[in-house]
Amino acid sequence: MMEAYPSDGGRPVAPRRAGRRWGLAALVVVAVVWSISGLEVTMDRLLSAPGNAWDVFRRMAPPAFGEAIDRGVPGKVLESVHIAWIGTMIGAVFSLPLAFLAAGNVSPAWIRTPVRQLFNVIRAVPELILAVILIPITGLGPWAGALAIGIHSVGTLGKWATEAIEGVDPGPLEAVAATGGRWVSGMRWGVLPQILPVVTSQWLFRFEINVRASAVLGMIGAGGVGSELVSQLVFRNFPAVGAVLAMTIVVVLAIDTASAAVRRRIIRGAVPGADDGEADRNAAVLTDLTGIRTP
Amino acid sequence: MSPPPETGRVDNRVASRKTTSSRPTPPRVRPRTWVVAAAVAAYTVAAGRTVGFNPSTFWQVWSNPLWEKFWPIPWDWVLDRHNVIEPLIETFQIAIVSTILGCGLALPVALAMSPLTSPNRVVLVVTRSIMNVGRAVPDLFWAKLLVTAVGIGAFAGSWALSVFSLAVMVKLFSETVDGADPRPLEAARAAGGRHMPVVRTGVLPTVLPEYVAYGLYVFELNIRASLVLGLVGAGGIGRVVEAQRQYFRFDRVLGVLVIVFVVVFVIEQVSVAIRKRLV
Amino acid sequence: MIEFKNVSVTYRGGVRALRHVDLTIDDGEFVVVVGLSGAGKSTLLRAMNGLVPTTEGSITVGGTEVVGARSAELRDIRSRIGMIFQTFNLVHRTSVVNNVLMGRLAEVPAWRSTLGLWPADDREAAMVALERVGIVEKAYVRAADLSGGQQQRVGIARALAQEPSVMLADEPVAALDPVTSRQVMGDLQRINRDLGITTLINLHFLDLAREYGRRLVGLREGEIVFDGDIDDVTDETFLEIYGRAITDDDLKASGG
Repeated sequence: MMEAYPSDGGRPVAPRRAGRRWGLAALVVVAVVWSISGLEVTMDRLLSAPGNAWDVFRRMAPPAFGEAIDRGVPGKVLESVHIAWIGTMIGAVFSLPLAFLAAGNVSPAWIRTPVRQLFNVIRAVPELILAVILIPITGLGPWAGALAIGIHSVGTLGKWATEAIEGVDPGPLEAVAATGGRWVSGMRWGVLPQILPVVTSQWLFRFEINVRASAVLGMIGAGGVGSELVSQLVFRNFPAVGAVLAMTIVVVLAIDTASAAVRRRIIRGAVPGADDGEADRNAAVLTDLTGIRTP
Repeated sequence: MSPPPETGRVDNRVASRKTTSSRPTPPRVRPRTWVVAAAVAAYTVAAGRTVGFNPSTFWQVWSNPLWEKFWPIPWDWVLDRHNVIEPLIETFQIAIVSTILGCGLALPVALAMSPLTSPNRVVLVVTRSIMNVGRAVPDLFWAKLLVTAVGIGAFAGSWALSVFSLAVMVKLFSETVDGADPRPLEAARAAGGRHMPVVRTGVLPTVLPEYVAYGLYVFELNIRASLVLGLVGAGGIGRVVEAQRQYFRFDRVLGVLVIVFVVVFVIEQVSVAIRKRLV
Repeated sequence: MIEFKNVSVTYRGGVRALRHVDLTIDDGEFVVVVGLSGAGKSTLLRAMNGLVPTTEGSITVGGTEVVGARSAELRDIRSRIGMIFQTFNLVHRTSVVNNVLMGRLAEVPAWRSTLGLWPADDREAAMVALERVGIVEKAYVRAADLSGGQQQRVGIARALAQEPSVMLADEPVAALDPVTSRQVMGDLQRINRDLGITTLINLHFLDLAREYGRRLVGLREGEIVFDGDIDDVTDETFLEIYGRAITDDDLKASGG
């Protein structure tokens, strides 16, 4: 037996945290049981649901590609892409100037706060709701979708751009001020060059998300491939549904990959010797999404 | 030597007289940049035409008489139990079930997807591929498919939101797992542990606070998502919005939206407060 | 007994970390391994418990062959070998005792350790291990709240909880100040003397080796260039191991 350390004999008592954990778990269980009771869950529904779902997916194979091409589905998928592109452009054009007004290091508090709140409010409204509100005004069709996506993007892109502006090196700003330049010049020459790569990359990332959003907006008639999905589902024409899904997946994956590659090049070109910053960007997006600072 | 200048500025004439090298020519902007810029611009214009870009909408939105349909909000209808409160409760229940189900499944999936914690290469590649394809499908497509398969209503809504919760949670949580400190894992393996105990003791305590925080966030998202889910018939408060929208009762729609945003705001504040204490 | 026979380890990038190493260590020995960074010290230790795969040769620990051992056998071998690390490798967010319990992973059924339901005997073993290194009063403190020296003692306790026959220490004091380094080296020496556990320690500086070690193994570019009593170390030996003459700085550990 090692006698190196004089033992004070006292082993500490385990803290009472275990009790609190079980209490929390019980609370969760109660909440779940209460929720399930309100959901018209019956045993046979519960048991048959996975089977039904599997059945639907099984009947999608083989996908009816020929039929889909005849009906112009590829064109509709492309239409979704166009809608997403225009929406992202609208979002980009409006969000960038507003972001300058919202940034803490370049804008006074009385302008900054309302603009930031504006971004928050816009972000809180899902594109689908925006489209619902817009369709009575613009009529059905892709323009409603593009506008809905555009407005919503102003919120998200605005917030991301604001963070980018707040993160700049103040040196160039100081330099412009020292030469007696005006505020706008300071933004144009001191801030813009620093944030342009990151912001462009944010636009592309938003574009990727918006492609999915525009596909969804089609389901309420705002243009794009969503309407195809809905109409085929109504007729329970599952092979056609499968074709629509497959085409959408392919295009989305292609755009994701291309956009990721372009974003990497933009970031790499901007900071010599840096990595693509993908991890940093994802962390920024995560922080944005969750409000949690991940280390 | 010329007399010193009156202002405090440096006399550039002295400096330039000392220069002997010739000035370099400015670098030409690479032609590729112009080509790319032109292509992007052309595409934007073409896409704009296809989509029916119509700038007049921007002021039409303000002046349109349809705005009258949104106002005034019929509070007596909105605050009636059956119309809004009960569907909201249903939304809550859907959100709870979906969060638990989706996030519960997301834990093993995210662990399987990370090179740090995956049991073997096959599981890693297979899970990643499935998740990548699944993520390429827009979330509401999933919802619509599940509603078709499982039937309309809150039950289907829970399934759809569970899938959505799974996707979001996996994306968020796998980033955390990837970034976790791998060294305790090495120590656990060196002690002779099997795979699951190694992951459980070596990495789980480190990532669990983030997991719970993300879970709370996903719950919030699920409440918000039920709004749009109703548009595909999957129950909850969204059902009310869709029904009123179809009757063109936009004033009721606005009333419901106001209530929902208030509820979401409150939940968000509570959730942020809890999350701050966790992480 | 530990036996290396013609062991070579080549990493995937082509780096030859160990070249034709022959080494025999008897039970209960206290061996210090020295050499430059990249000389192969870490690889030598990690080859012993299979954390690093051996390209060529044979390593036996207590009669069992490590090279090519399959997972169940490997886990068994690892359970008999305790390891402590330069960076301590503790789980920061959990308590000290939970960290030490990780040493019992090989003895406890997988489902129990996965659910966190450690049997009473194993909890007892963890507490005893903590008593042996003298920090049992910190048992329920978060690992991140301890000092470097305390964290390393938790690491030692974790290894002791395995009830191992061999103890491997990979630069255990490199991140510690001189005073704490001596405490940890003292602990390792005591463990070796009182519990009879065969001990192998990687060190960067010779002075600690001279104070605490008995047998010295010098590695240079993956080869053993010295293997003998620490009192037989001369200036030529130093040249062999480190490739240059000894200086005053080398005689003092800077703790870095």
